[in-house]
Amino acid sequence: MSERREVRAIGKAGWGRTLGAGIVSLIYFFPVYFILMTAFKTRPDALAMPIKFFFSPTLENFYSVFWRADIQGGGATDSGFSLYFFNSLFISGTSVTLALIIGTAAAYAFSRFPLRGNDTYLFIILTTRMLPPIIAIIPIFVLFRVFGLSGSYTGIIALYTAFNLPFSIWMVKSFFDDLDRDIEDAGRMDGSSEWNVFRKVCLPQIYGGLAATFVFAVILTWNEFLFALMLTGTETRTVPVAIARTIGGQVGVDWGLMSAIETLFIIPVVIVTFLLQNQLLRGVTFGTIRK
Amino acid sequence: MDEIRLEKVTKRFGDLLAVDQADLAVGKGEVMCLLGPSGCGKTTMLRMIAGLEWATSGDIWIGGARVNDRPARERNVAMTFQFYALYPSLSVEDNLAYPLHAENLSRAEIAERVAQVSEALDLKPILKRRPHQLGEGEKQRVAVGRSIVREPTCFLFDEPLSRLDIQLRQTMRTQIKEILTKLDKPTVIVTHDQIEALTMADRIAVMQLGKVEQVASPHDLFSKPTNLFVASFIGTPQMNLLPAALAEVGPREPDGCAPARFSLLGETISARVGEGVARLERGAKVTIGIRPRSFEFANGAGSDALHAAVDLIEPMGAEMLVHLVEQGVDMRCVVPSGTHISVGDRVSVRCKSGQLHVFDGAGKLVG
Amino acid sequence: MTTTASSAAALAQQDQGGRKAVGFIGWILSPERRGPLLVAPAIVTLFVVNIFPLLWSFGLSFYEYKANRIAPPAFAGLANYRYVLTDPEIWVRFGNTAMIVVGSVALQLVVGFLLALLFAQEFPLRRYLLMLILSPMMLSLSAVGVFFKLFYDPTLGFISRFISLFTTDTFVILSTPARATIAVVVADAWMWSPFVMLLVLAGLVSVPKYLYEAAEIDRAGRWRRFRTITFPYIRSLLLLALLFRTIETFKIFDIVYLLTEGGPGSSTETVSVYVYRLAFQFFRTSQASALGYIMVFAVVVLTSLYLYAIQTRQTEARA
Repeated sequence: MSERREVRAIGKAGWGRTLGAGIVSLIYFFPVYFILMTAFKTRPDALAMPIKFFFSPTLENFYSVFWRADIQGGGATDSGFSLYFFNSLFISGTSVTLALIIGTAAAYAFSRFPLRGNDTYLFIILTTRMLPPIIAIIPIFVLFRVFGLSGSYTGIIALYTAFNLPFSIWMVKSFFDDLDRDIEDAGRMDGSSEWNVFRKVCLPQIYGGLAATFVFAVILTWNEFLFALMLTGTETRTVPVAIARTIGGQVGVDWGLMSAIETLFIIPVVIVTFLLQNQLLRGVTFGTIRK
Repeated sequence: MDEIRLEKVTKRFGDLLAVDQADLAVGKGEVMCLLGPSGCGKTTMLRMIAGLEWATSGDIWIGGARVNDRPARERNVAMTFQFYALYPSLSVEDNLAYPLHAENLSRAEIAERVAQVSEALDLKPILKRRPHQLGEGEKQRVAVGRSIVREPTCFLFDEPLSRLDIQLRQTMRTQIKEILTKLDKPTVIVTHDQIEALTMADRIAVMQLGKVEQVASPHDLFSKPTNLFVASFIGTPQMNLLPAALAEVGPREPDGCAPARFSLLGETISARVGEGVARLERGAKVTIGIRPRSFEFANGAGSDALHAAVDLIEPMGAEMLVHLVEQGVDMRCVVPSGTHISVGDRVSVRCKSGQLHVFDGAGKLVG
Repeated sequence: MTTTASSAAALAQQDQGGRKAVGFIGWILSPERRGPLLVAPAIVTLFVVNIFPLLWSFGLSFYEYKANRIAPPAFAGLANYRYVLTDPEIWVRFGNTAMIVVGSVALQLVVGFLLALLFAQEFPLRRYLLMLILSPMMLSLSAVGVFFKLFYDPTLGFISRFISLFTTDTFVILSTPARATIAVVVADAWMWSPFVMLLVLAGLVSVPKYLYEAAEIDRAGRWRRFRTITFPYIRSLLLLALLFRTIETFKIFDIVYLLTEGGPGSSTETVSVYVYRLAFQFFRTSQASALGYIMVFAVVVLTSLYLYAIQTRQTEARA
């Protein structure tokens, strides 16, 4: 039963394998470790060469994430990052929730009530996901200007909702496909309406999957850079954009600060990946592959 | 010389005792069936012979050599798996040829052996197909073919017919039996279907909860089951097991039997039983086993008859299965179809001579 | 109308819960309407936000238009496409992109595969080491771009310093086109190899145990076992990984933009970055659209291949 949450394995190997895998893992992990380490270093320590592995840790970077002055901008006391974190959370959360609601309905239909053009629709939806964001940028940028949505929450949330739809649809459809139809048929024969079958039979079974989809989608949206760069204003800026802006020039990059920001940013991702290991494969391939 | 021998073999999985001190001997050319309900350890025993599981204790001998420490590849055994285990990426032809690559054979020799086997199992039309394009029966024949294309020391089959429908099963049973007789190597077949065991095996080892209960020929298992479990497991419909008490037993007669009287279901019946009964005390509780087909109608009030009421009649084609009930005890007997009998009738039945089994309080056969 | 009304009534009679709502919802969920209605909001959203702009810019690509001029678009037919396809600058970018895609995807496949072999068996601490390996995928693209820039820095970056242990003087990674390309490839492959590892691992684990047992009984050697049993199972997943990563790497923007900004010169400028520049730096909007659509075409082709590979995998998995 300990297999349930883990990525499955075949056969057993001993501590020799642990040693080999350990060395490889640590080398592979090193850049990430560097970032994490730097978050706790003072400015001079951060850039010291050769790398300082032993240092006295400090929390000043984390503090200055939220309360120091914006490096490039003016001398405000609030660095604005609390706003940016809030923006990231709010924008991602709302758009993913919307995408899930609309997407689940569509996924249910694709799975249970196949339309004649099903494969075509699904293909189009998948392609929308795969398209280079660049190509949509130009018209959307113009459209946003025209409708005055630039820098507003509505605009970017609507956009991200549409972005998350293909992923949600594919993921949730794969969950519906995996369900045992017999239970639903039993419900139908007992006289339940379709709505009840959906609500009481299908939906409860995929709560875990919905949660996983929600989390994966939030992480993707969270990390999105290009459209956020183009379409958010000072009030609605998200963290990735803010990161890019703080390192505008070559000189004076506060690496400690940068690392602290990134560390804060990936903590949720790490926790989630750990908890959702058994959904990992499905999430990472956007619902197209499952074991 | 026994070709396959297991001596006091035990297998534990952690706390679970899967096989408990089992002994087994399979002679050259003999077909031995391991028969029993799910979880009795028969598959585990087979896998230990194959070398896919190590024995926790005990000895396993194949072809006169002790093979406990040898992995499967060194034992030169052939096995047909329950799920066929055909290599999905290879054609039927390549599947059949697969085991031969480990032997130093030329391409021509390999092709010849494959041709022989495909001829014998009628696989020629599907040689180029892949497993996922085959039907169940075809897959099964390929799996068997892969086993017989080699010259192994023995053949092992894990529930070979369990995935086939009834008709296919009957055909394959005969076919496999023919092939095995021709090949004349020790064979062990695991099955939970007693019909399969009774028709294919030279001897059957009946197992329960890791123990080998009885090893005997199909006939002996049927007519001389050593305990209650074997008696009730073998034979359809199931043997009737009636609680009774020994009234008295007479002196032993020259042929080794003795007359005895038992009280059961409010009657006293007499029968000639084996001498083991003589060792029981008067009044000892026993179980009397009578097979449904061992009953015959008694007319009138014969002293050896049981009286019961007809509860249910199930037509079975040429025969009828009649359910009788008396004092809360159910009995079943099989009679020819045309018999005039209806629900609610009271009938007298008697066990045919020599077909009555007596089991003592511990469930062992005594007479 | 009558059929709908009577079916709604029938539903209302049968239903055991939510009697009041069932009338309207029953109407909505009636068999003829269900499918299309449930799908409609999704399609509409996608259309408005994604497809409509795409169509609009597709149309735009046939006009002459610059976003920073006031002049209205003038119809130009295929002029933009002709220009784009014959412009040597564009082909340079395609070349750059091709090199990065090929290099990165190949590296990802190899490293991912090896990592999967390493992690195929259960061993002590496997769970935690696996998390370490998966960590690069969790970083934001911008962080990877920014930090690798630091790592490659000749004085401050540990990668440069490490390499300069083997060379005579300080090794400036981003100085030449070749090195810069490799730098981008390494950063990208480092980030996504765990992805390939996950897929290959899924394949390795899905091989039914009894196949290996049969091979053991058949006395097949390790290489033979790999070739006939293991590899066919992971082959389709490797193909999926290949296609998926190719599509994604083809679009690469963030890492390149932040790491090298397309430099030195324009040697690492990928098509995506170039489209961005065309549109927002040079304001050659319609040309940017045309080039973008050529990319779209490529992606559509790749995606159909990808879908085909998925379906093959699914039929295989069921066999």
